[in-house]
Amino acid sequence: MSSLLPIIKMPGRRAYPPRQSRFTHNFWDQLEHGRFTTTQCENCKGLTFPPKAFCPHCWSRSIRWVDAPSKGKLYSYTTIHIAPEIFSIEAPYKVCIADLDGKLRIATRLVETDAELTLDSPIEIVILRYEDGSLFAVRPQTSRTA
Amino acid sequence: MKRTAAIVGAAAIPCGKLMAKPDAPLQVLEHELLAGCVLDAVKDAGLDKSSIDAMVFAHPRVYTRQLYFATFVANYLRIPANGVVMEVLGDGMTGGLAFDQALDQVTSGRVDVALALGVNFETAADTRAHLNNSMRAVGDVDFQASCGFTPISWYAMDAMRYMHEFGASRGEIASVAVKNRRHASLNPLAQFREPITLDEVLAQRIIVEPLGLLEVPPRSDGAACIVIANEELARNLGRPYVRIRGRGFHHEGVHQISDIPTDMMAFVPAARAARMAYEEANITAADIDFAELYAPCTIVEICVAEACGLLERGKGARASAQGQTSLGGRIPLSTSGGLLSRGHPPHVTPLYGFVELADQLRHRAGNRQVKDAELGLITCELGNYNAALIHILEAVV
Repeated sequence: MSSLLPIIKMPGRRAYPPRQSRFTHNFWDQLEHGRFTTTQCENCKGLTFPPKAFCPHCWSRSIRWVDAPSKGKLYSYTTIHIAPEIFSIEAPYKVCIADLDGKLRIATRLVETDAELTLDSPIEIVILRYEDGSLFAVRPQTSRTA
Repeated sequence: MKRTAAIVGAAAIPCGKLMAKPDAPLQVLEHELLAGCVLDAVKDAGLDKSSIDAMVFAHPRVYTRQLYFATFVANYLRIPANGVVMEVLGDGMTGGLAFDQALDQVTSGRVDVALALGVNFETAADTRAHLNNSMRAVGDVDFQASCGFTPISWYAMDAMRYMHEFGASRGEIASVAVKNRRHASLNPLAQFREPITLDEVLAQRIIVEPLGLLEVPPRSDGAACIVIANEELARNLGRPYVRIRGRGFHHEGVHQISDIPTDMMAFVPAARAARMAYEEANITAADIDFAELYAPCTIVEICVAEACGLLERGKGARASAQGQTSLGGRIPLSTSGGLLSRGHPPHVTPLYGFVELADQLRHRAGNRQVKDAELGLITCELGNYNAALIHILEAVV
């Protein structure tokens, strides 16, 4: 098992809190405990994200929960200046596409971007801890955090 | 046996801010505007109402008060039909699906004449409030929307990646907006017709990095109607018409991004749909005279033109900056002005594309006429070109 992920304390509540199902509850619960998890197929070994009760690649129902890769590369990003009303107070903010360990692509918030960003540079998953729960995000992996 | 079909009539109202504010004493009603388009389009075809046997509508926006819009309009226009009367929905592809379903009604032999039509009203809704809705359409509501993605944020990430991989400059990508505005200045249906310079485009406030205000779509209302007939009937009308030569569709089974890393800017669905359409038409990309591309942002026009084989991969931005895609250039793209300047009433935007092809291929596009236009290509899409619908149309004059 990998070590627990960095946690960043965030002010206030999440603007658009995700719903949880009986199935995805495990993901959000693990996130609260410092882990970024997903499901892997026991049959074809394929990873998927978000986690699913079956494998979308081969449709096997034989899946298991695993720690997802938490480090990877920045595939692309943008800064959103005109945001949905419920996110307006946070704008401008950055979102990105990140490839984790070259095998799992996610799209999420990009935070702690002090220096200039270069695509394909290393990133890592962090947990954003709000008053009402957690979200995951990506931040540049600096020498400090590598 | 499958029959060939043709566009025999088309009409639209100029794109713009047509919708009245909710508290205005006089409201503009969607069905009144659409009815005008239908009468104009059917007159343009040289047909009368009794010939219409199917109507496929683009589903209106949530801001349209009248529900069961298709059946309401069937009554409003008093059109009995043996073919379907229905509404279709598919994000930005909505108008294209309306055309495609109406086309199927004709090519299947079920009816002789079908209408593809629709109206999109949304501009009286505040942009940020509107985004509260549209963000729910462009990502997993629980795992992605919680981060605040907007529809065009995905295209912006295409732009960032395109510049990174191919070394394209901001100016080269932005040149698409200048060119499209020049085209729109020649189009009476266009929402924005005042020419702009590259410096002006680059000086706009940023909406989604790196794209500024003039590189992202405006908000527009609009209404359009296309008349499709079987080709034998079209021929007997004795006037120029537009034959549907090829068609392709592909959905990559992905919503915005694949969880398995792929080449995002390759727009694979567009490449596949184009190949299907070229094969059916028995032509190659080199035979296309002009294309009307569904491109909400500058970068999208470049990526989809590359995917369709109209521009060389990774060199599309430079080709645009060199004028290859302008009217008079090697392969004119978005001769209507495109989504950026002609206007973008999303659910009917593809219908406006068909109006442009109908004008170009009947050689009545005025000052923006592509000389000797014979074959035109039109695309529409949803997501980040996760699905593409492409038609190839041919002039019969």
